[in-house]
Amino acid sequence: MINETELIERLKLGDDVAFKTIVEQWQDMVYNTILGIVQNETEAEDLAQDVFIKVFEKVSTFKGDSKFSTWLYRIATTTALDHLRSKKRKKRFGFLQSLTGDGGDEKEQIPDFHHPGVNLDNKERATVLFKAIESLPDNQKAAYTLHKLEGLSYRDVSEVLNTTVSAVESLMSRANQNLRKQLEEYYNRHYR
Amino acid sequence: MTSREKIQQEIESTLQSLDGVKRAEANPFLFTRIKARMNKKANGWEDAFSFISRPIIAVAILVIVMAVNGWALWDSGSAGTGITADPTASFSELANEYNTVASVNNYDYENMTNE
Repeated sequence: MINETELIERLKLGDDVAFKTIVEQWQDMVYNTILGIVQNETEAEDLAQDVFIKVFEKVSTFKGDSKFSTWLYRIATTTALDHLRSKKRKKRFGFLQSLTGDGGDEKEQIPDFHHPGVNLDNKERATVLFKAIESLPDNQKAAYTLHKLEGLSYRDVSEVLNTTVSAVESLMSRANQNLRKQLEEYYNRHYR
Repeated sequence: MTSREKIQQEIESTLQSLDGVKRAEANPFLFTRIKARMNKKANGWEDAFSFISRPIIAVAILVIVMAVNGWALWDSGSAGTGITADPTASFSELANEYNTVASVNNYDYENMTNE
């Protein structure tokens, strides 16, 4: 078995076998991170492909200052958040089009997201939670997803997000507060 | 249990619903798809198309095309005043250039001279 450093060196030389090994080794990690952020399986698969293409193209810029997995998480998180921003922009443009009567008036119905890794007992509750996560600001969403779905420690999350551990603690605390607020509103509506 | 307590309990349970979640698995053919995309990208068309189809680029191209059209219209309008009064002048010049007699047209065979 080839070690990580050698794999990366071989990838820098454009070795296809090394690239295949890297994809197979990290594909679930990348896919799961993106899926947690974009909450759509088709989009997550396309974005996971984008991430690995970026890795192949940009591996020469990887200096080894951080762990390779940290670098991968960073690319995956940025790619997923950029995608969400671009979707938001398109939605706004669609809204403007609907105002001017140039089409785009059909309101997009976003189906409920079911994460395939959630056990059956928690399925409904997790769907409600994912709906609430969707409304979190980008940095809180990224921190929460990395910690909860990928099981990263606050230190690892801070390395991915290029920030301090205390900043991640603060992000997680605010994320939890926001989620509680969202859930309270949701359950107040449904228990009335 | 009051409804408020029930709601609080639901919130706690919901927040814990992701505890022990398993990692979602990627498509087993992900690498094949990545390679297919990379090969397609290598042809360059995808890049060119995605560049052109970016809204800012598409709008810029549209503005340039409209500007060129506008300029062409404006230019043809002003160029009209510069046309010589005699529309046959250019024909005469051409005829002279090819060393033919200006007074003879293609249908005037009887008056043609053999030079």
